[in-house]
Amino acid sequence: MKNIIFFILIIACGISVNGQNEVNQPLRIIAIGAHPDDLDQQMGGTAALFSEMGHHVKFVSVTNGDAGHFNKGGGHLAKIRRAEAAEAAKRLGIDAYTVLDNHDGELLPTLTVRHQIIREIRNWNADIVITHRPVDYHPDHRYTGIIVQDAAYLVIVPNITPDTPPLKKNPVFLYLEDDFQKPYPFQPDIAVDITDVFDKKISAHDAHKSQMYEWLPWVNKQLANVPEQSDKKLEWLKENWTLPITPKVRQSLIKWYGKKKGEKILHAEAFEICEYGRQPSKKEILQLFPMLNLKE
Amino acid sequence: MKKNLIYFLTCFFSLSFTVEIIAQNKDSKLNIIVIGAHPDDADNKFGGTAALFAEMGHNVKFVSVTNGDAGHFNKGGGHLAKIRRKEAEESAKRLGIKEYTVLDNHDGELLPTLDVRHQIIREIRNWNADVVLSPRPADYHPDHRYTGILVQDAAYLVIVPNVTPDTPPLEKNPVFLYLEDHFQKPYPFQPDIVIDITSTFEKKMEALSAHESQMFEWLPWTNNKLEDVPAGKNERREFMSKNWSGSITSDEREALKKWYGEKKGEAINYAESFEICEYGRQPTEEEIKELFPMLNKK
Repeated sequence: MKNIIFFILIIACGISVNGQNEVNQPLRIIAIGAHPDDLDQQMGGTAALFSEMGHHVKFVSVTNGDAGHFNKGGGHLAKIRRAEAAEAAKRLGIDAYTVLDNHDGELLPTLTVRHQIIREIRNWNADIVITHRPVDYHPDHRYTGIIVQDAAYLVIVPNITPDTPPLKKNPVFLYLEDDFQKPYPFQPDIAVDITDVFDKKISAHDAHKSQMYEWLPWVNKQLANVPEQSDKKLEWLKENWTLPITPKVRQSLIKWYGKKKGEKILHAEAFEICEYGRQPSKKEILQLFPMLNLKE
Repeated sequence: MKKNLIYFLTCFFSLSFTVEIIAQNKDSKLNIIVIGAHPDDADNKFGGTAALFAEMGHNVKFVSVTNGDAGHFNKGGGHLAKIRRKEAEESAKRLGIKEYTVLDNHDGELLPTLDVRHQIIREIRNWNADVVLSPRPADYHPDHRYTGILVQDAAYLVIVPNVTPDTPPLEKNPVFLYLEDHFQKPYPFQPDIVIDITSTFEKKMEALSAHESQMFEWLPWTNNKLEDVPAGKNERREFMSKNWSGSITSDEREALKKWYGEKKGEAINYAESFEICEYGRQPTEEEIKELFPMLNKK
């Protein structure tokens, strides 16, 4: 009998130490992207799933996006994009979307921005931090990755950014998916089925009108092909923003959801575990991504 | 005949000359400089090897690029930096090395600026270094990563007279080596050189123990283990071996057998490993044995 109590206590301790908070408390997820739409694209579905389950998700854009257009710019564009981000957050159902006021296209891994990021992670009391790999086509993405890496250990050090109390436990740091191969390809350690919330994700994309219907089509010389009607626009977004599932992501889906379900999943988002920050066991991953436990 | 003899002598002397220039010094004493991020990093990754070099009469210098002024939970700033500078001095004494320089850059705020690069270039040049060691730019602490980058950035420039011209350039590019870590990306650490430190392991533990603010306060605090730190001297010594012995990976074991032979390599208890950096001079196996003379004692 005594042994059983001891055993239960050990299990309880094991569970409680995974989140920053006690057992059964909602998880706290913070995602840090370079521009006000990056996160929606790469983890909008996963964010919507977390939110539906009652967990707390915050998106942070490190730049204000004030360079992302062909005939708008500066503070004027930053204001438009801040409003678009707020609307996207509403559509995904997440708690907050913070747009920091650093210039788009000019991000560098300075101490000032590092301190901003350390404060964001600490103030959110994050269990999970998600960001770009330092390998990506846009320098702002790469430097966002480096800045978050630089914060990964320091968030627990009280003498660093001492205006904001340190975290008691080092969060798990994850990378968003990209298709770059060097110095090594993205590894989908975790893959999440987002089929059920795919429409929400597309609706969040639709909120970033200056990007989805103006700037990005302009970059790709597709401006003339953007439909006029709003229902056609959503169809068009689905056509253009359905990410392909790579063979490696498919393997990961099968690992997490079983062969039968994993093979059939239509839409997915994948994450790689960063070596800096806490290294989660498989059991901890299942606690940090509770949607992986919903077997059919 | 005479012509041939002259030719022979010329060849002979140029050959002996090539052998001699392996070391920067004429007296064949080696100059080793270890550049860590914090005042205890070099001790942790190179302490045993440093003590071996020192016992053989070679010149070892440790440099900490930051002053360690953030590494505590209830001390900080200049006050902590002073404590750590003292601890570093005591550690150097216990290892028997010549110098332990603590540069006055803030802990937790290191960036690969030109200012710090010049500091590093001066340190390497002034020590007239044959071997330079530093962390890889892949490590959990940003200060470690940026120290790795700063030393990489200095690796070629130490021989360029127009760079940091207040300090004369080295005549020969040193060999640059990385200290061991366990990170796998973008590629895992390669133990090109592995040193048996069994005979100096005690000295290494004594040196690490000199960093009291770290070993018995800050580091246990970060692991929620402050209460487990013993008070007695003997208990602390045991606590150190338990936590800081390091394990020998299978790659390291293979390298130990390569350098020390199958039988001895299999039996070694404590070791330190180094990876050859592609920047700086690329040593042959013969040169490695000259730069690490402890490898020749079979």
